[in-house]
Amino acid sequence: MAWVLFIALAVVTLGGGLAVVATRNVVHAALALLVSLVAVAGVYLLVYAEFLALVQVLIYGGAIVIVLVFAIMLTRSAEYPRTSDNRQWPLAAVAALGLLAVLVPAFLINAVQDTEAKNAAFTGIAQSLFTTWAVPFEIASLVLLVALIGAIIIARSGPGEN
Amino acid sequence: MPLTANLDLLTPEFALAGLAFLVFAADLVLPEGRKHWLGWLSVAGLLALIAVSVIMLWGVEETLYNGLLAVDDFSLWFKVLFMVIGVFIILSSMDFVSERLEHQGEFYGIVLFSVLGMNVMAQSRELLTAYIALELLSFSLYVLAAYARDNAKSNESGLKYIIIGAFSSAILLYGVSMVYGVLGVTKFEAIAAGLAAIPDTGAVSPSLWVGVALILVGLGFKVAAVPFHMWAPDVYEGAPYPITAYLSIGSKAAAFALVLRLAAEGFVPVGDRWEQWQLILAVLAAVTMLVGNLVALAQRNLKRLMAYSSIGHSGFILAGVAALSLDSNLPSNGVMLYLVGYSATNFVVFGGLISFFNMTGKEMMSDLAGLGGTQPFLAASIAIGMFSLAGLPIFAGFAIKFYLFTAVADEGFLWLAGLAVFASLVSLYYYLQVVRQMYIEPAEGEPAYGHGYGYEHVDAEHGEQGAGHNESGEGDEPAPARRYGAAQFETHPALGRRPSVTVIAVLGAGLLAVFWIGVYPSPLLDTIEAASKAILS
Repeated sequence: MAWVLFIALAVVTLGGGLAVVATRNVVHAALALLVSLVAVAGVYLLVYAEFLALVQVLIYGGAIVIVLVFAIMLTRSAEYPRTSDNRQWPLAAVAALGLLAVLVPAFLINAVQDTEAKNAAFTGIAQSLFTTWAVPFEIASLVLLVALIGAIIIARSGPGEN
Repeated sequence: MPLTANLDLLTPEFALAGLAFLVFAADLVLPEGRKHWLGWLSVAGLLALIAVSVIMLWGVEETLYNGLLAVDDFSLWFKVLFMVIGVFIILSSMDFVSERLEHQGEFYGIVLFSVLGMNVMAQSRELLTAYIALELLSFSLYVLAAYARDNAKSNESGLKYIIIGAFSSAILLYGVSMVYGVLGVTKFEAIAAGLAAIPDTGAVSPSLWVGVALILVGLGFKVAAVPFHMWAPDVYEGAPYPITAYLSIGSKAAAFALVLRLAAEGFVPVGDRWEQWQLILAVLAAVTMLVGNLVALAQRNLKRLMAYSSIGHSGFILAGVAALSLDSNLPSNGVMLYLVGYSATNFVVFGGLISFFNMTGKEMMSDLAGLGGTQPFLAASIAIGMFSLAGLPIFAGFAIKFYLFTAVADEGFLWLAGLAVFASLVSLYYYLQVVRQMYIEPAEGEPAYGHGYGYEHVDAEHGEQGAGHNESGEGDEPAPARRYGAAQFETHPALGRRPSVTVIAVLGAGLLAVFWIGVYPSPLLDTIEAASKAILS
């Protein structure tokens, strides 16, 4: 049963991912990305990572895709259906397929041993995040702060502009 | 032991974050004309923190948060190096920032955050902590690279940097996840134990090797090792000048601090398998030093020249990393000594070049013609820096190269040491080109800036990219005037202007360090030896 679900989710994820790179319309690409990201949340659910699934839907499915769509709307409303094509795409395709050719056998040969899937309690995650992992957690907040300040500095119009 | 028992050992980090917030807050109340005080505040704060760190942490050897962070001589050594780099960068950017950039307070605050990121990178003994600290450094640098927001090249630089940076971070994280998937750990020591536990005859999951390789690739991007270096020249060229210096000094030193600890604690103790990776690293180092130094020969833009020079130096340092072993501290000492000497030398070179840019707004090699006559102190400093980068005796460059290459040869990589000497000889050619421009080429009779002189090279080299600023090449309007705003055009004829106090301070201290390391490095080596012992034991 889990296998059937997994294959279905995998097909949706990959299909969404392919659509992101194949479509010539930026808005369609953003929506295909949403499909792909939500399907990944489904994969997380299959391996009992409920917290990750929740965060995936909230942050990637919600916030990030919406920001993407907003950015497209606000910046190039007149020309958004235009392609963002690149002459180097055959090279990129070869590189991506090459990486795939390395990764697939890497996962298949001597794969990671199966372990019992069990769900981690939310409280346990919270506890380790604020005790053992407090330092990286705090630094992540500084990263966000720097990104915020940087975005304001770069985007804010200077004196004499509107 | 409770996790927070020795939290006081992180005082310098907390204080550094506090200092950054103080700078942001003071920026709100200071009137427009006094923003440069924030630079002095940052410098004073960093100097105080250096003193506090040395007094508090000298000889301490403890770990925090169950081994996530190490407070030992290695962390202390790099922390002091990073904070000194921070002081020098802020000093050499003060004129530039107050004349050419908006939002001065945030500039210094973000530099302080990046120093904090570097400090944590040197202390992390765990992949995720190291990664997030690296991200703090990288995000700060993305913002700083795009800081001259009216300048198209600076925007291009920031955009390229953030895309390549995100790409390389993703590769690094993917590698971390694969290593974690196979071994189930992310602490460096535990990785070494996990790798050592794999029997020599037993089959190893290939995903472990792929994971390690991806981590290597991700870090290769960060140190700009060939073939992951393509971003460096463009980003260096477009970034504001002091940030170009920061990229080539600070971010390189921080990345190598992380690489050193990861290699020394995570991979060197594994024994036989480390020897296989040594070969991969050695080949990477060889390619990097050759490509960096050979391509530098063709550069005419000073920033691009320094970018390729910095790639070449990455190759030398990588050779030291490849030679790491448990039997000898020499390669690790060599890497650290190289980082200090390289930083001091680059401060001299960039101090001079930034000051030259502040006066003229130019960044081509040919613009330096006649500088020996008009600005003898700047020209002499740049020349000494170039000699040192090339590795001539009595300057730091010779001592650090001699020490590092000897260590590499001692560890059995004679061919690599020979190649490094060859690459250094090649590099002598383009470093001396700069010196020749300053002392032998006559200054242009007519002020060359009137015809957009020099920028044609950029346009030709960049092909399509140059099309964006073609308009600046024609007509009577001087080309550089539009590049960073009109102000600098008026200051240009003042090449006779004396360098400012901060420039003289940076150059003076840098020259002192260059000669000191070149002539008598042994006190420095004693501290380096202690730092090496902390990671290789």
